[in-house]
Amino acid sequence: MAIEVSDSAREWIKRKGGVATVRLSPRHGCCGGGADIAVAEARPPDDPACYTGVEFEGLSLYLDPTLVGQGLRVDVAGFLGMGHLFVEGVSPTRS
Amino acid sequence: MTAHQESQSPSTSEGMGLFERFLSVWVALAIVAGVLLGQFAPAVPETLSRFEYAQVSIPVAVLIWAMIFPMMAQIDFTAILGVRRQPRGLIITTTVNWLIKPFTMFAIAWFFLTVVFAPLIPAERASQYLAGAILLGAAPCTAMVFVWSYLTRGDAAYTLVQVALNDLIMLFAFAPIVVFLLGVSNIQVPWDTVALSVVLYIVIPLTAGYLTRRALIARHGSEWYDNVFMKRIGPVTPMGLIVTLVLLFAFQGEVILEAPLHIVLIAIPLILQTFLIFFIAYGWAKAWKVPHNVAAPGAMIGASNFFELAVAAAIALFGLQSGAALATVVGVLVEVPLMLALVRIANKTRHHFPETETKATAEARG
Repeated sequence: MAIEVSDSAREWIKRKGGVATVRLSPRHGCCGGGADIAVAEARPPDDPACYTGVEFEGLSLYLDPTLVGQGLRVDVAGFLGMGHLFVEGVSPTRS
Repeated sequence: MTAHQESQSPSTSEGMGLFERFLSVWVALAIVAGVLLGQFAPAVPETLSRFEYAQVSIPVAVLIWAMIFPMMAQIDFTAILGVRRQPRGLIITTTVNWLIKPFTMFAIAWFFLTVVFAPLIPAERASQYLAGAILLGAAPCTAMVFVWSYLTRGDAAYTLVQVALNDLIMLFAFAPIVVFLLGVSNIQVPWDTVALSVVLYIVIPLTAGYLTRRALIARHGSEWYDNVFMKRIGPVTPMGLIVTLVLLFAFQGEVILEAPLHIVLIAIPLILQTFLIFFIAYGWAKAWKVPHNVAAPGAMIGASNFFELAVAAAIALFGLQSGAALATVVGVLVEVPLMLALVRIANKTRHHFPETETKATAEARG
């Protein structure tokens, strides 16, 4: 399986339109260097052609090709009606 | 750790580019360049020091904002919503960062700088170095931790949450801790000066970073923000750091030439403190059976410092010529070799920790 999505994350994404993008977000170190952190957002990507599309339990997921097959899991956390998607199972990388 | 597991961790050359791997060399070169500038072209720093407004040096303020703003602009504060994830890692790192680290830094620096090295450092100078150490101890790592997390195969989601939480706490805790510990050390700094430096070098860049992030993501999207905007402004921080160091040492030339040994003497308590804090957090994580991908970055966050903030606060509170500013720079000088040694320790002791979340930690998360 390319990806696992928790029940709560699936509901959250469905409420936001049923589309999610899982991509790498570069973070810069203050003394130089950096790492790419996997992030998930409940929205379609800027350019779907750059992503691997997966239809998964009623969701349209777009995965960064480098993240496919890494056994990652998308979960949601939050409180007071606010939520934030998190990607588990993948360490920071460097492109 | 098996050979297979060890090979899973990225090598230093893989994880860090030329600049950051040899940061100590560039900092040392910046010290030499600054000293030469101060000795052979003193008109340059003298002219720059004349541009002041409300006793704030404008060139220094611009350089400091250049260092800090990009780091603040990349913080995703919505990650704070994940504060209930990995609660043990968050409890350990937050406690170590804010309730232990500032005080052990003060104790170790006080003991070495004012007691052990008393015959080698004049008392007034020693108390300035102590002030610099206090500033370092109260400013936890905010950005390099992503590099340390990468090198130890850390949990990316935990790292994001911990950084956002730290920066939020820093907004409120940095000034009171600094004022308290400076007061204990009999170093008098007016509250309004501390408040001004917090507003100038934490509140303004953090607010500007947050508003910039929100506005640009709303207009251009998060992919553009990360891959275009941050890619352009991210490298400004290390460049700003090096230029600030050149300027700082243009004013510090006399001290360096008269007492180069002071750099080594300042480095000793800073190195001991880094190892102590790492082992407190790492040992605590092991006792609580925290998975390695949380324990390692958590201990790294505690051990490392937000040097740009410490340098900025030292300059704002005590001036470019101060011993406090010099002490914060020594922190930058030793950072990378020290942190890479901790990365190696973390990777070699991986087998002492659960690789993935245990049932106990899962239950704690609910």
